[in-house]
Amino acid sequence: MIELKNIEKYYSSKGIKHYVLRHVTTTIKQGEFVSIMGPSGSGKSTLLNILGMLEEPTYGTFEFLGEDVTSLNERKRIELYRNHIGFVFQAYHLIDEMTVYENIEAPLLYKKVGSSERASRIANLLDKFNIVAKKDLFPNQLSGGQQQLVGIARALATQPSIILADEPTGNLQSAQAEEIMQLFQKLNKEEGITIIQVTHSEKNATYGNRILNIQDGVIKEDSPTQAPQMGGVV
Amino acid sequence: MFKLNLKIAWRNLWKNKVYAAINIGGLALGLTAFVLMLLYINHEESYDTWSPDLKNVYQIREKHDFFTPDNKEHWNEISNSRIANLIRTKLPQAFAVTKVDNDWDFSSVYSLKIDNANPVVINKIKDSDSSFFHVFPYHFLQGSADKALENKNTIVLKESLAIKLFGTTKVLGKTVNVVRWRSDKGSPLTITGIVADPKTPQSLSFNAITRTGDKDKDPENPTNNNYCFLYAKLNKLSDTLVINQTLQKLYIDLKKNLLGGQKQRYNDLYKDGKLPGLKLIPIETVHSTPPYKMNWFEKLKPVIAISAFLLLISVINFINLATAQSVQRAKEVGVKKVLGCYKRQLTWQFLIESALQSIISLFLCIILIEVVLPAFNSQFNVDLSFWHNAQLLTMIAQLAGLFVLVTLLAGLYPAWVLSNYNPVSVLKGNYENVLRGIALRNVLVVFQFVISVTFIISIGIMQMQSRFMSNKDLGFERGNLINIKSNYEDNFAERLKKIPGIEYVATTTQVMGNTFNVPEEVKYKGNSINLNTVTVTMDALPALGVKVIQGRIFSKEFKQDTVNTVVLNEAAANLFGKNIIGQTYGKVDWEGKTNIFQIVGIIKNYHNEGFDKSVLPTVYKVTSLGGTSNTNNLLVRFNTSQYKDLINKIEKQWKVLYPNFPMEYTSLDDVFSKSLEDNDRFMNMIILFSIVSVSLSLLGLFALSTFVAKRRTKEIAVRKVLGASNIQIVNLLNKSFLILVIVANLISWPIAYIIIKKWLDGFAYRIDMPVFPFFIATLISIIIAVLTVSIQARKAAVTNPVNALKYE
Ligand SMILES: Nc1ncnc2c1ncn2[C@@H]1O[C@H](COP(=O)(O)OP(=O)(O)OP(=O)(O)O)[C@@H](O)[C@H]1O
Ligand SMILES: [Mg+2]
Repeated sequence: MIELKNIEKYYSSKGIKHYVLRHVTTTIKQGEFVSIMGPSGSGKSTLLNILGMLEEPTYGTFEFLGEDVTSLNERKRIELYRNHIGFVFQAYHLIDEMTVYENIEAPLLYKKVGSSERASRIANLLDKFNIVAKKDLFPNQLSGGQQQLVGIARALATQPSIILADEPTGNLQSAQAEEIMQLFQKLNKEEGITIIQVTHSEKNATYGNRILNIQDGVIKEDSPTQAPQMGGVV
Repeated sequence: MFKLNLKIAWRNLWKNKVYAAINIGGLALGLTAFVLMLLYINHEESYDTWSPDLKNVYQIREKHDFFTPDNKEHWNEISNSRIANLIRTKLPQAFAVTKVDNDWDFSSVYSLKIDNANPVVINKIKDSDSSFFHVFPYHFLQGSADKALENKNTIVLKESLAIKLFGTTKVLGKTVNVVRWRSDKGSPLTITGIVADPKTPQSLSFNAITRTGDKDKDPENPTNNNYCFLYAKLNKLSDTLVINQTLQKLYIDLKKNLLGGQKQRYNDLYKDGKLPGLKLIPIETVHSTPPYKMNWFEKLKPVIAISAFLLLISVINFINLATAQSVQRAKEVGVKKVLGCYKRQLTWQFLIESALQSIISLFLCIILIEVVLPAFNSQFNVDLSFWHNAQLLTMIAQLAGLFVLVTLLAGLYPAWVLSNYNPVSVLKGNYENVLRGIALRNVLVVFQFVISVTFIISIGIMQMQSRFMSNKDLGFERGNLINIKSNYEDNFAERLKKIPGIEYVATTTQVMGNTFNVPEEVKYKGNSINLNTVTVTMDALPALGVKVIQGRIFSKEFKQDTVNTVVLNEAAANLFGKNIIGQTYGKVDWEGKTNIFQIVGIIKNYHNEGFDKSVLPTVYKVTSLGGTSNTNNLLVRFNTSQYKDLINKIEKQWKVLYPNFPMEYTSLDDVFSKSLEDNDRFMNMIILFSIVSVSLSLLGLFALSTFVAKRRTKEIAVRKVLGASNIQIVNLLNKSFLILVIVANLISWPIAYIIIKKWLDGFAYRIDMPVFPFFIATLISIIIAVLTVSIQARKAAVTNPVNALKYE
């Protein structure tokens, strides 16, 4: 579903190009659970942002669902956000002025989902993530792990085909992190949602089925995970 | 979506209560000032719009130089009464023409006597002819427009006057006795109609219209002319351009006729491009085109500018605070964008938030208006009302327009800034390039302070000028002096002189409050000198308490004073030259004879008009040689300041002689305060507006510094950990604002100088431009700005750095 060809990204300052990504060429298929790893500053976030169309590569082509999306206008990009892509952030980025319920509802409103459909989907998600009791609370009344659950519920509300997560457990304790990772794995296996996450933790990476290792902007290694629990691609 | 946005807007306002209160309160104040102006403008524009039939009603204006204040030709509201007949007979388009009394400043009240009750003084009773209600479409509650003034000795009352006099409008057929001056026998007039008070003001306002018969005919002698208001009603769809051309021709014929058919005299009078002139103007334009005076709009211009500035200041606060707040909102924008929200939708969301605030301000403003309107009405001598307003619908439409305008002005820029945030940088937690609009914000803060500092400088200088005026030596003693509205009559004057405590009883044509200028040209040593002539009685100059500079003033000891002596004021003396006591000059009278006058004294200039006009070169004379004038002044000087009892005694004498006309008088102290009133009123308003504008600017600065301090919390914390002292932190925050305030001061100096110079130039007697207020204004603005910012900065400085670092 994702096809990157020779992606390059550099920032130029004082006439010197500082490369962040070089010759990145890879394919990610529907239903894969990919973990991007690498040292700090190696370009992981940049790559994920490009995948999320938040940044444009300086060179190369990017195809999403068979369509060239290297540079898109706002309308098309937002169409993709509404229908295909869900984001999960390290800092959760819930909207502080909205309740849990409203946060999950927001993307559905943008997508113009009907109100009864909306209500049932949200109820479903709240139920699934065990946060029904929290639905009228504001983000600052939740723990970090709970906030991240809401963040994931929000990303899932529009039933996207892919989730992009930049260090989703970076701010969490290991128990909570584990819970999130299991959730991801479940979503990937049972619902066939493609997941691409950036992570620093070897352990987290094992929940996925493929690891991209980046160093200095170059993909150094692209390998399936050795985990015994790995199942087949759905 | 809309509902959710509204909800979020509300939660945001709630979260930033102080900021929202400043925004909304400030905007409400700005709006209030502006809406008051709107109300006032609407009121002024509504003159003579009370009936659709007024579309065909016109005032006639004649170009002439009779009774004009500067003795030059003007288009006058009062015209030769013969013109009415001219139009009636020669202009077929005219449906009806009517003549109406004009207002004379010094004899505007009549005394009304009903049966044997005490006489009541009523103003604005105007004499007219039978056509008045054919021209003006007044609505008759009793009687009818056709019949009301059919006969002589009739009177039509306005509903309000009927209620005031009788308590009812059912008074047809009753008789009222109208006494027009103190020794008038009075004419019994029959009430033949009651008309409703129109909803909007009238340029020709009256309490009652009488038809005594005086206006029915013109003077027989062609050299005698009566002047009065003339109004005509034209047939529908008359082309005034064509009619005015016809009128001009008719008028020239009339002029030639009146001048005895002698072509020569006509050509004599109208040479050097001077032309007789006659025209019709639509009645709606009468109020806005007063002859030889500023119209209301000209007068209001500075006030309009000031209230617009005030609104602008509050809008600027709005913009500044909204953009300053944007850091808090950046994350929301970033997240929403990746959730699939269009930029357009975000723009709308932020506009809705502005709209929410402006609508609250608008409601507050309506409440505020209700509260301040009584004070405003008494200040400006109007009777405005918001709800009981004939133009309530217009007003609501204007408010809606204002609401949209303010929302767009205040909300568009912040909405644009906010919705333009790039999600990547925001979500990375990188706010630095989010802080757009800092330059603009600085410009706006400077702009606000320019306005405020200009206001402060202006108040200072205006205060100095008005202190100068109220302390200025008037050249006469205004205390213990009253002016009775009456001509000098020996019988009455002698009775008064017998009352102990009364020093002088006299009359003059020139006294503060009622000045009548009669120009004349005299010949002195072969030169022509233009002077203003004032007729006085022997005691007038001592009664006024003028100061003699040279020679003497009039006295009974000198027989010659009733023959041909004159006293000059300094201004006049300067025109004559030196050593002029005892000298004589000549003046040619209207019969061609030269009269010789001898100068016996020079007095110090004394003021008889506001300080905006310089004292005219004036000659004072007791003698009737060369003509006299009489203008309803009776000066009475007491030798005590406890003269209340004395006035009662005077009134007793008055009642004996003139039982049917109440006595009216003013003290010269009151007249003087009244002459300063316009200026005081203007100043009070400027002061009020300045205070509001300065406080709004400061509130804005206060809120802005809060946000800046908040934004820099982390920086401050880090600096503190690195060892900065609280003072250093406060200075750090102050510095950026201080520069803005100083820049603002530098800009406002020349602006204030130009504006104030123009204002001062309007006074013939004024102070020199002082520099002191400029420095004071700068000092004040810097001190309060520093104080305002320091409060916030201190708060930021003393917080424990750990708190800040932990949460960022
Ligand atoms: N706007 C920018 N201008 C210049 N350089 C940038 C910009 N944004 C990112 N970079 C550079 O790009 C490089 C890669 O950044 P990126 O955020 O992708 O790293 P990362 O792999 O996600 O690191 P981390 O694990 O610390 O999050 C860094 O060296 C950074 O300095
Ligand atoms: Mg990163």
